Amino acid sequence: MIDVKDLVVSYGTATALDHLTLTVGRGEMVALLGPNGAGKSTLANTLAGLLKPTSGTVRSDGRVALIPEGRQLFPDLSVADNLALGGWRSGQRDPSLVYDLLPRLAELAGRRAGVLSGGEQQMVAFGRAMMSRPDVLVVDELSLGLAPTVTADLAAHLTALNSEQGLTVLLIEQNARLAFELCRRAYVLESGRLVTEGECAVLADDPRVASAYLGGAIT
Amino acid sequence: MSAFLTYLLNGLAVGCAIALIASGLVAIHRVTGVVNFAQGTFAVVAGLCTSSLLGLGFPHGLSELAAVLAAAVAGLLTGLAAIGKRGTTPLSALIVTLGVGVLAYAVEIVLWGDQPRSAPGLAGSMIVAGARIQTQHLLVIGVTTATFVLLALFFGRTYLGKALTACASNPYAARVVGIDVRKMGLLAFALGGLLGGIAGVLVTPLRPISFDTDVTLIVNGFAAAVFGALTRPVVTLIGALLLGVAETMAAGYGYGSHQLEVALGLMLVVMIVQAGRRSVISLEST
Amino acid sequence: MIRLVAGLLIAAVTLALPSVLDESALPVYILLGLAAMVTVGVSLLMGYAGQVSLGQGAFYAIGAYTAALLALNGVPPLAGLIAAPVVAALSALVIGTPLLRLRGHHLAFATLAMQLILLSLAGQLEFTGGDIGLQAIPQFSVGSWEAEGATTYAYLTWAGVALVMLVTHNVITSRPGRALRALATSETAAASSGIPVGRYKLTVFALSAAFAGLAGGIYCFYTGYVAPGSFPVLMSIQYIVMAVVGGLGTTWGAVIGASAITLLLQGLNTLSSLPGMPTYAPSVFSYAVYALVLIVVVLFLPQGLLPAVTDRLVRRRREPSVRTR
Repeated sequence: MIDVKDLVVSYGTATALDHLTLTVGRGEMVALLGPNGAGKSTLANTLAGLLKPTSGTVRSDGRVALIPEGRQLFPDLSVADNLALGGWRSGQRDPSLVYDLLPRLAELAGRRAGVLSGGEQQMVAFGRAMMSRPDVLVVDELSLGLAPTVTADLAAHLTALNSEQGLTVLLIEQNARLAFELCRRAYVLESGRLVTEGECAVLADDPRVASAYLGGAIT
Repeated sequence: MSAFLTYLLNGLAVGCAIALIASGLVAIHRVTGVVNFAQGTFAVVAGLCTSSLLGLGFPHGLSELAAVLAAAVAGLLTGLAAIGKRGTTPLSALIVTLGVGVLAYAVEIVLWGDQPRSAPGLAGSMIVAGARIQTQHLLVIGVTTATFVLLALFFGRTYLGKALTACASNPYAARVVGIDVRKMGLLAFALGGLLGGIAGVLVTPLRPISFDTDVTLIVNGFAAAVFGALTRPVVTLIGALLLGVAETMAAGYGYGSHQLEVALGLMLVVMIVQAGRRSVISLEST
Repeated sequence: MIRLVAGLLIAAVTLALPSVLDESALPVYILLGLAAMVTVGVSLLMGYAGQVSLGQGAFYAIGAYTAALLALNGVPPLAGLIAAPVVAALSALVIGTPLLRLRGHHLAFATLAMQLILLSLAGQLEFTGGDIGLQAIPQFSVGSWEAEGATTYAYLTWAGVALVMLVTHNVITSRPGRALRALATSETAAASSGIPVGRYKLTVFALSAAFAGLAGGIYCFYTGYVAPGSFPVLMSIQYIVMAVVGGLGTTWGAVIGASAITLLLQGLNTLSSLPGMPTYAPSVFSYAVYALVLIVVVLFLPQGLLPAVTDRLVRRRREPSVRTR
């Protein structure tokens, strides 16, 4: 469960998030849409505890793991070491836990993370987040820069974890089509403020959302 | 020829001491981005401690160990000053470590006076392949080799060592997985203190050490670290050995008075060449 | 108006002091002025070019040796004194061309290396007098007039300080000066907005070297003696402490920083010469003061002492007006 109330996050004089309120229920998978600079990554970092709220509250039950924007692996370390470090909080140092989940990672275990393809890196980032045995997973830009087939593969894993293990997921995406496909509910963020929220099916028909997020060249 | 071999081995011993200091600099810089100006101070602290402890009648081994630990504590304290406060930029931290080094002068003079001190090491000398070499030089080479092997194992095989590498590799990602980057930085400072301390303990029997020996030590260490762009331990090691041998050869063949200029000149050339290469790269990427 | 009155008042006090101070205080006043002169340059370099120089003592030494060597070889002292900053600035241009490609800690170490090399050379070369240095440097003179006594050197020093401050003020308020301010915050941004970053940095470096060289020139005539030992590395660190205390990039701050540190050390010196104090007390006190002041100011008053105090005064003055609104 994620419960954000009246959250304000500022960097100096610039306000990145302006009185934001949103909730993600336990076991729910919710999308957060918005253009570049809307404050999406600020929210992700605040939920992960990397940024302090200027005011307002952020609550979540259990452990939060973050798949950060741009994967953010340790390029000099092997895939196995990247995964092992993912277990820093949980004390889980043996990556075989995620090899069951994502068998492809076992094949990559000895490779240096920095030399992998974008899709493989995203999978490592995914596995690394799962190493902390999270109750809540925040995914910042799952599909960015990846081929549609790779994205679909990762999305399938995410959906499975959500439906089978009850993992709570906040999916931060620029690709609205993908988000609407995976989630039932979505929030739309612009310039740090919530513009609209609701059922994905309804939002997809909202002309503002449709023109901004579905009308462009985004696939 | 045997003179050459003697100089070579002596030079390697000098280079080993430089390598220990330089690797401390690299360890701290990799994890925190800070160049620790007080790195030479750790060696001085350890050297002076050994001389005192041995003077008080404590046995060899124990004295050296305690001195190295004292240097590690000095490293930790330096780290607290340099990165303990949130939002200290690396350049501000450099100035703070400069301050720590000067503060150490005051403390060292009160405790040990301002005259150079020495400590007995391994006495005697051996003939190696026809060249006479002091036993202490061999000890320096042996201990340094062992230290570097342990360092490699620590960073390559242990979870904590990998976490340190992770902080160096991607500090943001380290925070994402929950590693306290500042604590790791302090650990790196303590490790830097430890390495500097080992250098000090090894060197004190060879050349007396006084409170202001740190300038020569840090400048040599920085020169070696610059070879590896302050981030690459192996290149740093090679740079340190080269530097040690070059300086000892220069001294051995009668250019002793220009030893420091050789080291410093070399450092400047390497830095400027590296800077030139960097700016070419940054031009290409834009 | 207030600024003008304050400025005149300070000028009057500065001019009056040499004739009022006694023989033990006058040397302090002179050394303070010399330190202020160098610190203005260091502050300009750190505050405007964003660069740390750990080798400013080298330019002080270059100035001192230049003036001393010329004077000893029969060149009129005035010409020697003028040559001191010029040669220091030229050296800075030559050294700075490759060195200023370095940044941050690289430049800090490079400038430190420069000073160490220079001192080592001065200690070995014959024409610089080796470790013994140069002695019996004639008194400063212009034509038939010859400086006699510390009072004259005090006036000469503070005239130098005034000149240095005037030049710095003009540089800061000029168009390139405002561009320089951008340089200190972000070199990339400055470069992309078309500011010739490299040339400006080199100019500031040379200017700060000229200030140090001028101070060195006066110093050599005042003491009549220069040697490598007169320019230790700690001297360069001292200027950083003074600049940081005063607030980087502030002309007045540099002078106030130099004054504060010099007077503090002088006070501790008096304290340490009291009976019962150990012989090492003076050096321990000065090391401890440099170190603690440097650490505390960098960590807790990063703007420096003067801006911190004036900020507080300004805030206090503004507060009532907020309430009446």
